This record gives sequence, C-alpha cells and structure tokens, in this order.
Amino acid sequence: MNPREFEYHAPHSLDEAFSLLGKYGDESKILAGGQSLIPLMKSRIFSMPHIIDIGKIEGLRNIEINKSGARIGSLVTISDLESEREIAELFPAIHDAASQIADPLIRNAGTIGGNIAHGDPGNDLPAVLVTLGAVFVLRRSGGERTADASKFFIDTLETDVHHGEILTEIVIPRPGKKTASAYLKAKKSAGDFSIAGISTCISMEKDGSIGSIRMALTSSGPKVIEVTGLEEICKGKKDYNSIAEKVSVAAVSSAKPSDDFYGTVQYKKKVIGILAKDCLKLAMERAEKR
Amino acid sequence: MERKVNFNINGKKVDLNIDSRELLVDVIRDHITLKGTRIGCDTSNCGACTVIVNGKAVKSCTMLGVQADGKEIITIEGITQGEELHPIQKAFMERHGMQCGYCTSGMIMTAYWLLSNRKNPSDEEIKRYFSGNLCRCTGYQDIIDSVRHASELMHSEEEKIVVEQR
Amino acid sequence: MRSEKEMVTGRMQYIDDIVMDGMLHMTVVRSPYSFAKINAIRGGLNHTDFNSEMKSFGEGETGEETGPGETMFAGSHAFYAGQPVAAVFGKTKYESEDNADSVEVDYEPLKPIMNLNDSLKLGPVHGSMKSNVLKRTLLGKEFSIADSHIDLSDSFMMERIATNPIEGRGLVCHYDDNKLNVWISGQSMHSIKSGLCGTLNLPPDRVRVFHVDTGGAFGLKGGMYPEYAIAGFASMKYGKPVKWIETRREHLMASKPGRGVRGDITISARKDGKILGLKGKVLVDAGAFGGSIAEFSPRFIGYQITGPYAIGNVYVDAQALVTNKPPQGPYRGAGRPEASFLMERMIDRLADETGLDPVDIRLTNAATEPFKTPTGMTIPESRSFLQDAIRELGYRNFRKPERPGFSFFALLPASSPGEGARIRCSEGKVKVWLGGNTHGQGHEFFVKSLLSTEFRIDPGLITLEYADTDMLEKGEGSWGSRSAMVGGNAIIELARRIIKRIEKEEGHYAPEILLDGEYDEQDFVSYKKTLISYGANLVTADVDTYGNVHVKECRSYYDVGRALVPHMVRGQIIGGCMQGIGQTLYEEISYSEDGTLLTGSISDAGLPTAEKIPEFTVKYAENPSEFPHGAKGLGESPTIGVPTALARAIELASGKRIRNTPVRPDYLIG
Repeated sequence: MNPREFEYHAPHSLDEAFSLLGKYGDESKILAGGQSLIPLMKSRIFSMPHIIDIGKIEGLRNIEINKSGARIGSLVTISDLESEREIAELFPAIHDAASQIADPLIRNAGTIGGNIAHGDPGNDLPAVLVTLGAVFVLRRSGGERTADASKFFIDTLETDVHHGEILTEIVIPRPGKKTASAYLKAKKSAGDFSIAGISTCISMEKDGSIGSIRMALTSSGPKVIEVTGLEEICKGKKDYNSIAEKVSVAAVSSAKPSDDFYGTVQYKKKVIGILAKDCLKLAMERAEKR
Repeated sequence: MERKVNFNINGKKVDLNIDSRELLVDVIRDHITLKGTRIGCDTSNCGACTVIVNGKAVKSCTMLGVQADGKEIITIEGITQGEELHPIQKAFMERHGMQCGYCTSGMIMTAYWLLSNRKNPSDEEIKRYFSGNLCRCTGYQDIIDSVRHASELMHSEEEKIVVEQR
Repeated sequence: MRSEKEMVTGRMQYIDDIVMDGMLHMTVVRSPYSFAKINAIRGGLNHTDFNSEMKSFGEGETGEETGPGETMFAGSHAFYAGQPVAAVFGKTKYESEDNADSVEVDYEPLKPIMNLNDSLKLGPVHGSMKSNVLKRTLLGKEFSIADSHIDLSDSFMMERIATNPIEGRGLVCHYDDNKLNVWISGQSMHSIKSGLCGTLNLPPDRVRVFHVDTGGAFGLKGGMYPEYAIAGFASMKYGKPVKWIETRREHLMASKPGRGVRGDITISARKDGKILGLKGKVLVDAGAFGGSIAEFSPRFIGYQITGPYAIGNVYVDAQALVTNKPPQGPYRGAGRPEASFLMERMIDRLADETGLDPVDIRLTNAATEPFKTPTGMTIPESRSFLQDAIRELGYRNFRKPERPGFSFFALLPASSPGEGARIRCSEGKVKVWLGGNTHGQGHEFFVKSLLSTEFRIDPGLITLEYADTDMLEKGEGSWGSRSAMVGGNAIIELARRIIKRIEKEEGHYAPEILLDGEYDEQDFVSYKKTLISYGANLVTADVDTYGNVHVKECRSYYDVGRALVPHMVRGQIIGGCMQGIGQTLYEEISYSEDGTLLTGSISDAGLPTAEKIPEFTVKYAENPSEFPHGAKGLGESPTIGVPTALARAIELASGKRIRNTPVRPDYLIG
C-alpha cells in the first residue's frame, strides 16, 4: 500500500517550519526520518493534509559532548548514535538500545527525535532517556522550553509536544563517577516489536554500594514506565544477589503489559522479571569497572 | 501534488516532477525506470528495496521521493562499470548467494554499504548487518558466504591497484 | 531465461517490472470480517458484474473436488477476512488505491469459526452443507491388538503458515484481438490457463499464459485465485491491460497458507520398541472453501503417516474441516511434513516411555524389505539407509548430557503424472521449454547439464526459455519435489527422440548434425509412479531463560539419487532447513477469536532473519533412481525432516513435551 495525497513542505529553517506549523495547525504533521511515520502513512491508517519534512533544516544533526554532558540534535540518526564512541562510553544504554532498534537499514534513516516524539511505547530510547535523566528541548516560534524525559510521555502516541513546537535537542547530564547504564530487550527477530525492554542506570558510592538507581520499561504499558520503589531496595547494597529478586519483583509490579500477539500478560511479566535481573547485573558490572 | 526534485542517481543528474507522496522506490522504478530495486513487503521489513542514499543503505520503500531531493543515490544498476561486474556481484555468482533472485539487489546493496564500512566483517557482523534483509530461499548461508568472499575479492583488487600504482 | 548474472545486476524481469501502454492497476477491496453477511455493495467491479465459481485448482487437484466452490467476488456473504468483495482500477497504483475509498459495503458481522474444535462443534458455515466436514476419508483398517505392552496417545497441532516468498502473487492480463494474454509469476501456466478458461468461460485457444521470472513461490503460485480471474475479466471488460500486484498484507490475509493440521494419534507397541499399530485422526483446517490441497491433504497425510516404517496395523480417520479462513493451499512439503511430524513425535514419546534410544526404536521399525502399508503405500527397504544416516550424521558420537534430535522420513514426491517439455534446435542453438516454471530451483542448470551430456554439445549452446501455453501445449507444474526428476526425464526422452531421428535420417548421430539441422520435439512425458526416497536430520539446540530457542547445528543426510547440480542441491537443502526451523520456532498466521488477523506483517508472520541461522552440514547419498539421470526428489525433504528433529532437540533442552508448532517461548518457560 501507498500513502494518500498530502501537501509536502520542506522548510530550510526552524522559523520557516514554525510558520508552516502555525499556518496548517492540526492539519499538519512533522516528518523526521519517517521510519515510524511512513509505514503508517503507507498502510493508510494515518494520513494528514500537510506533511512538514524537517530533514532539510540545518543544525539538528550535531552530537556535542562537553563537561556537563551530551547535547544531541533531534535529527541525529540511530546509526550515528550507535557508532559514536563517546556516547557508548558515557551512556552505554544508549548504545545498547540504538544497536537493537529495528534493523541496520532502518537505523540509517530513523532519528533519535522521531524515536522519542512518535510516542510509541514500543520504542526503545524513551526508557533509556528517562533513566539517564534526559531533558528535551522544545522550540517554538520565538521561544523554547525544556521538558523532563520522565514527564514527557503521556499516553500511546501522545507526548508533551504542544502544537507549534519542535523537539530540537536531547540534553543528557554527564554521569558521575561509578555510574553506568544498560539496556536489554527481548524480541523474536530484528524487525519485530519487542516483547519488553528495560533500561537501568546505576550510580555507586565510593565504597561500592549502590547510591542511586533508575529503571524504565519499554513495551510494558501505554507509555514508558519508570520502575518505582528501587531506592529502598538497593540503596547502600553491594551484593547483586541480595537485591536481584526484589528488583525483579519491583519491575514486574510496575509493569502494565497487555495480552497481544507477542505474548500473554503472564509471559511478559516473566520476561520483564528476567530482564530486570539481567539488566541490573549488567549495569552493576559496568558501574563497578568505572 | 506535483513537486520538482533532483537527484544524483548512479552518477547521473536527474530532474523530475514527482507526486509528493510517491515512495523513493516507486520514483526509482517508475520515473527513472531502474527496475532492479524491488518491492517485497509493506512494512519496512524485507529490504528488497535497499539502495544507498548519501553513503548509507536505506529502505527506499520507507522514504518519500521528495525526501531524497538533492541527494546521491546508488542502486544495483549503479555498481556495475559497463559490463564489468562489481566484486560483490562476482562473489554472489561464485558462491551462489541467491536462488529466486528477488531479494538479491537489496542484499548486494547492503553488502556494498557493509563492505564500505568494514573491510573484514566477521560472520556474526554480517548476520547482524543483514538482519533487515529477508530471504526465503537460501537460508542465508550462501549469502553470508558470498559477502565474506566479496570482502576477499575486494581486498585482492585493492592489492592489485596498489601494486599497479607502485 | 535469465540466470545468475541477471540476478546480481538487477536485470531479472519479474511481473511488477512489466509495463504496458494504457495499463490499469487493480486494487482489490476485501472483507475485513472473517464472516459477515453482505447487505449491499456500492461501487467498484463486484459480484453483480462477475459471479463465476472457482475452476481448476492446480497442485493437489484430484478432479473429485466436492466442497462449496469459491466465487470470484463475495456475494451474499464474506467467508474469510481478505475475501475479494470488489475491485477498483487506476492509472497508477496510488490512484487505484485511492479509488478503493469509493466502494461502500454494508456488512453484518457474524460469529466466525476460527479453529478446528469450533468447526466440529458448531453448525455449518455454508448453508449447502450439513456439517463443516468438507471431506472425510478412512484409510487402512480398524484393528485391535491384544498383546500390546504400551498404548500411547497424544495430540499435535501445526499452525497455519504463510508461504511468504519475497515476491508475492502478481499478473498482467491483456485482452487483445479476442485473446486473453496473461503474464504471471507462477509455478504452473497450464493450471492457471485452465482456471482462467473455466472461470471466464473461454475456449482454450483464446487464453495464453506466459511464465515470467518468479521471485519464489513455495506452493503459493501453483494454482488459481479469484484475483487472477478478476484481472482477466477486467481486461476483457475495459479493453486494457490490467496489472495486479499483491501487497504483503494481502498475501498474509488472502493468499493460500499451508499447514493448519491437527493429529490425534495412538500407537500400540511392545516393550522392545516395535510398533504394532497406529490409529489416528487427522484434521485439516481447510478454510472457507474446498478444492486443491485443502481437500486432498487429509487423505495424503493419512496415506503416508507411517513414513519409512513397517507398521502392520494402521487406521486413520482423515477430515478436512471448514473454517472462516482463506482456503488452505500447499506450502513446501504440503502434507508430508505433517505426516512425519505425527509419526516421529510418537516415536520420541515411545523412547521416553520405554527408556530406549529413539534412534534404536527407528531401527527396530524401519522396513527390512519392501513393505506395503495398510493405507496402500509401498515403501522400499529403509533400514540400511537409516543405518547409513546414523553414521553419516554422527548421532552416536554425542555423549550425554549432549543429546541431539534425530528424524527419519520418506519423501513422496509428486513425480506423477510426468511433465511436458519442448526442445527446438535451430541455427546452432538448443532452446528448451518446460511445463513447470523455475522460481529459485535453478532449472536452467539441470537443463544445460543433462542436455549437454545427451547431445554432446557445449552447455553454452543450450538455453531454458520462458514458457507459455502456446509454445508448449501440455505441462504440469513445478512443485512437490518434481522438476529435476520428471522435467529432467522429459527433456532426456525428447533429446533421445531427436538423436534417434538423426540416426535414422543420417545413419549416425553427431553433435554437428544436430547443430546444423532444424529439430523440434514436444511431448508430455508420462511417469505415473511415486518415486520414494529417504532422508534424515540431526539438530541440536539450546533454550535460554527467556524461552528463546537457539538452534546450534542442523545436519542433513538425504538420498538425492544423483546430485545433478551440486550447488543447487546444497542451496535447496539449506534453504529448506531454514524453512523447517521457521515453521518450528517462529512462523504462523494467527487470528484473534473474533477473526481479526494478528499477523499483519512478514515479520509478525515469523520469517526468520539471518541472525537465526545455525551451523549447517549437508551430506547426501547418491543411490541412483530408475530415471536415466538418476536423480530423486529433494526440495521438500528439509521441511519434512527438520521440524521433527528440532522439536526433539527442544524437548531435550527444555524438558517440555513439544506437541505444537510454532513452539512459543511462553510455553517453554511457562
């Protein structure tokens, strides 16, 4: 199948894009890499009279890493994210996730901004960015604001991007010493949606005990879900074996998966429980090495 | 809605009027009439439509023609020099990396991208790079063997060029 | 005929590459409901314009089809989700898809029958039937065994799977000068021709079907479909060429899928592993209409259920049941993998029950001399091949706790009734046409190899041509592991006739005489027997904590008679092994209870990716067949042998009894 008719706009600047968004309002949709949107347009499940392609706007493809962390332009492709060494070094969970998104060809065209702004609970980067404490820069005509990743996702395909705004940058704070992250996911095949995915970010104290921990889940509810109650379980603990089971239970009780073709609720919860343990272990091992 | 675009495709400049909604694969097949790029699925899974856009392999069924405006595109037809086959094409013939041939253009274009990034990919790397290209006939083994063989052929060609230059 | 060089340069000409002046693109509007009453249809070409019933079924056709026939468009009811309801047209595919919005259909959804239990329990889908039993065959004889030590019963299910070639179905019809010309991606031009003649009510001389390059088929493209007749009808009605190219979603919802078979099996055996009898009920999910494999396969499965084993008592109740799904079709193996799965799973079960090695049980039951089964199948001696296979596959080299799955099977190829071919020598070149279309099996290789030997000429002088129904009057098709066997046999027979003619005319044969002369020979070369051959597989696998199966090794040992083209033999075996792995681990066509298709993408339907491949080992025996070329059937062997061996490997790795395919991760860790 192929897309319905639409009018295509390719602004060369953000200001041009804002004015198009202002002009066409609810009748317009932003196209970035298109790897989520174009399949929907092809199936004719989704159509929109005006498509605003932001791909020709300069300045949204930079990865800048400095003392305070990383600033990633929203049009940076998943494969650029995957191959950027400093990203893998500072934020291994981003690298883990990027290298598991869809397949290598999709990653060459898909963008970090699209992966976030599409609002699909099956997309991998939202969970990662929530655990890394990322902030999203949303620009609009004559201004900008920031939104915390943890508050950005509202419901399936619904985010905190207001009409007239464009997600331009993802800002991730530089992790402290002995801090590491990891992302794991369970899926049938490369192109498949995940059964579940989990991101973990852990900071260790000098004595090797856990200082802080965040975990968030992919494909486990209508939006990305942050696991609650982890600090109580993990704070001050050094031994993986003493917390693994409790962390696993916490992840499972935070999850709200539904029955579908990819598995029953019971199965998905089991998978989430195992993923939580495996991801905790990986993140702890990485943090200890830092 | 008609729109004017220009590409560089296989080293040639083309100016076209296309419908904004036309997928890049249809622009390549129907406007530029290069039929070697195939359509295999609706859902961006199979990779039969793989082409190189600005140096990277992408699925041309998941890109609008208008998105490729101003870009450089290479298709299966663009890697042959006259009648001289590209080493990857030779390798696929020598290792029989195809049966029905329908996925082959996409497989070769992914190989073209992979081998421009990695000179000596391991079998595991090849498998990962090809996870977005589906083949129903071969069970992939002969394709993986072909890609490995292609990397060897490309090495020996490079060596030949170095020797000639000396 | 194009070959490998055209494949690597993108110069193959598949059906979607054909463009004609004034060509219309067809889009089919389909029922979204698995079962619905249709109160009204407005717009498009629909059943009020064209209301013909399915004729000619292609592969598996017996001439005794009884079931309610499928009309080309749904009329008063839609019987499966995806059934054509109307067709619209446009100058481009985009325009034609837009025009689909102009069709309005008033549906009244009904409760569909989506599984075999409901089909048996609930009232008939079709008002013309008394129950949902489309066809029932009893095979063998009822028996009772007094001295049986062990009676084991179990039930197995192989879910439906899509054939999923990377190129879907497609055709171009052009009605010109009172003749319907049809170019089609296909396995059998003659079955399509008779289907079109029947549905469009045209005499044979007014339909010509052309084979084109075909991007895989695996059973999909061997027979007639409503869309073909609709495109033909439209071309006649509008006087323009009409192209229809199936989308993947259409493929998954409306083409004929394979498998969909349940078996309830009981075996009676002695403690030493000797099986004394087998009773079975085989239920086939035939889908909404009869015809083709849907009616044929229950009997075919029952007939060969005991495979390579000499089992003295067999009784099978084989039934095809109507459901609200697209009609079942052949998928690589088409009944053979189902039969073998039922038998081999019971043998592994018997091994666990008796504590014997499953391979020793197979040896105990293998035929030590030609054996006629109670279902009427005569198998050659099989024990010596099994002994060779155990050795060649290295089964006894495994030491506990490492234990591989092992399978042993008989391949019953569709060698009967033979194949049509034509050879024309002219201007120093030899051109060949075959009844069955190559779609990945490399027919051109065996044609060149066999004829260069027969004629003693350079293979470069021989070409396999695109066949059409005017160039070749009679032909069968490419399916059922048959082409190299009976296609090869046909061209050798024709070549020898030409040589005899030359000998008669010139006193002797010499290649130069052939190449200087003009010769043209065509015939349908009959072969009415089923040439059975044997094969075995060995598979090892791990199961991880998530319930994912990782296949480590997949070894094959098949009797190919003679490997005419060794690289194709290897390619066919590895490709088929991967399909066997796909069926066992990932592939299915799945619906919700209310009849909504859940597997809407090729990825959901479970086509394996490159990351999933194990280490393959390919070995084969060459015990020549009675054909002059010595070859036996091959293409379907891996899809028979691999699921059974892999199921056992998973059973050993997980400790869970494997009864169904695909084996779901949630079952393994549940």
